[in-house]
Amino acid sequence: MNKNLPAEYQRFNVTERLQHVILLVTFLVLAFTGWALKYPEVENSKWLVHLWGGAKTAGIIHRIAGITMLMDFVWHVLYMGYMLGTGKMKLRMTTTVIPLPKDILDMMKNISYFIGLSKTKPQFGRFTYAHKFDYWAVFWGMGIIGLSGLFLTFPVQASYLFPSWSVNWIWEVLFVMHSDEALLAIVFILFFHFYNEHLRHHNFPMSMSWITGKISIEDMKHEHPLEYELEFGDKGADK
Amino acid sequence: MRRLLVIAFLWFPLLILSGSASADTFTCLACHSAMKGKIRTERNVLIDVNVDSERYASSVHGGFDCIMCHKQFQSDPHEPAKIGDVPQNIAALAHRLSSKAETDPVALAACAECHGEVYKAWQESVHGKNIMDKRQADGADCLDCHGSPHYITSKNTASSMVNRKNIVATCGECHENKHLAEKYGLGDFIIERYDESFHGKKYLLGHPNVPTCVSCHNSHGIKKWDDPASPVAWENRTVTCGKCHPGATRKFVAAITHKPYGKDNPIPYYFQKGLIILLFGVFAFIVGHVFLEVFSEIRDKVFRKEKEEHHE
Repeated sequence: MNKNLPAEYQRFNVTERLQHVILLVTFLVLAFTGWALKYPEVENSKWLVHLWGGAKTAGIIHRIAGITMLMDFVWHVLYMGYMLGTGKMKLRMTTTVIPLPKDILDMMKNISYFIGLSKTKPQFGRFTYAHKFDYWAVFWGMGIIGLSGLFLTFPVQASYLFPSWSVNWIWEVLFVMHSDEALLAIVFILFFHFYNEHLRHHNFPMSMSWITGKISIEDMKHEHPLEYELEFGDKGADK
Repeated sequence: MRRLLVIAFLWFPLLILSGSASADTFTCLACHSAMKGKIRTERNVLIDVNVDSERYASSVHGGFDCIMCHKQFQSDPHEPAKIGDVPQNIAALAHRLSSKAETDPVALAACAECHGEVYKAWQESVHGKNIMDKRQADGADCLDCHGSPHYITSKNTASSMVNRKNIVATCGECHENKHLAEKYGLGDFIIERYDESFHGKKYLLGHPNVPTCVSCHNSHGIKKWDDPASPVAWENRTVTCGKCHPGATRKFVAAITHKPYGKDNPIPYYFQKGLIILLFGVFAFIVGHVFLEVFSEIRDKVFRKEKEEHHE
């Protein structure tokens, strides 16, 4: 091991980790309290709702968790604005979470590698295209599920905002938005996020980054070579 | 008299079971609680002759004499009624009910003696007029919603057909019926659409406050939705919805129509179709991506071991 290199790299600070924990707790609570309402005709739904103390209580918990999640999201956006605005976080091609044309190329290259068309894996920066997909999916979800959820929580107040030509169908649309996109979010998290952060061989049973915020230098070198290069390129070079 | 005593003796155990019933009821139930099957009357109607004495005794009407409702059997239970047995107002009412009440119109009219107010409301309702004015042989009378008067229990009991837990299914008996929907120009999709609505979904999960059919449409005095007296008429909806949603406006109350998806409501229909395509598109991508990655990782582990040389 190179003496100039630390053993670990601080990937996420405490604010970012806290935002993630709030997001994950509220997400699970929302999924478990809301699921039954999507499939009320299924017998197990009654049992699931019973766990939360009945349909009424489950509804109240769902609303509280939803508003908490939205506030967490607003906090994150303000925080990102602050970090970028004050220059504490710098916009760089290799570390930004903003999707770039390179991500499309990375994805095509990665899939080529999976199926054996290419012998080399793409070189990722701080965030791979899968991470970016994960991250922006939350933004999409907040817009679609969060906004429709707010409207459904305050239907009378929301009705004042809607134009009169929309009132005959807007509620159906809002409900479909809320419930179908929630299903999408749940399947996405269960499948994509859980596979990437829990089941990939080096992450099993889970990547500890969400608690410690740290990643080992070895993992960083393999998973995020471009960011590694940016941070430690000159130090690592004299290996 | 002696024969009667013998019968009474034979049915003695049953008489004890029906302890709370009155003496006259004992006499009728002695036979009618034991008899099984149906008989055909002079009007060519099949009548179930059995009365479950235990259930009758525990019903809200369990203390009644049979002839309090079956008034035409006052003198002799199995002979045609004598003039004067049935009070004139009940007889007149029974006549108006005769299109629907095949078994015993007099007994159906007799409900009015105690339940005058709700009976009057029903007479003026769309259900009542259908039988009394339009002389239809179907549609709802007391029994269709409350069940047999012999076994009516309080609406707070789980077995009551008008209990909160059962009321939607009870309305659905007719309002999900294709034949009746066609005949009266109703939608047979109403209950289904209610089940799909937020109110209906919460109702199915046992929410204690969410509205059922009768919360918005009224019960005994139910009117057609375009009747100005109906609580769901456009003029009254802001008040009706406002009971639970204070501040409800005309714009807000348009939310509930019970209309089906499809031609009447294409926007949500196609919107949902679009979302489902998006859903399955994303599913296909992530599932494909994960499986391909699993495949490549296993392949690398098994066949490309020489590649793992980065470790120091």
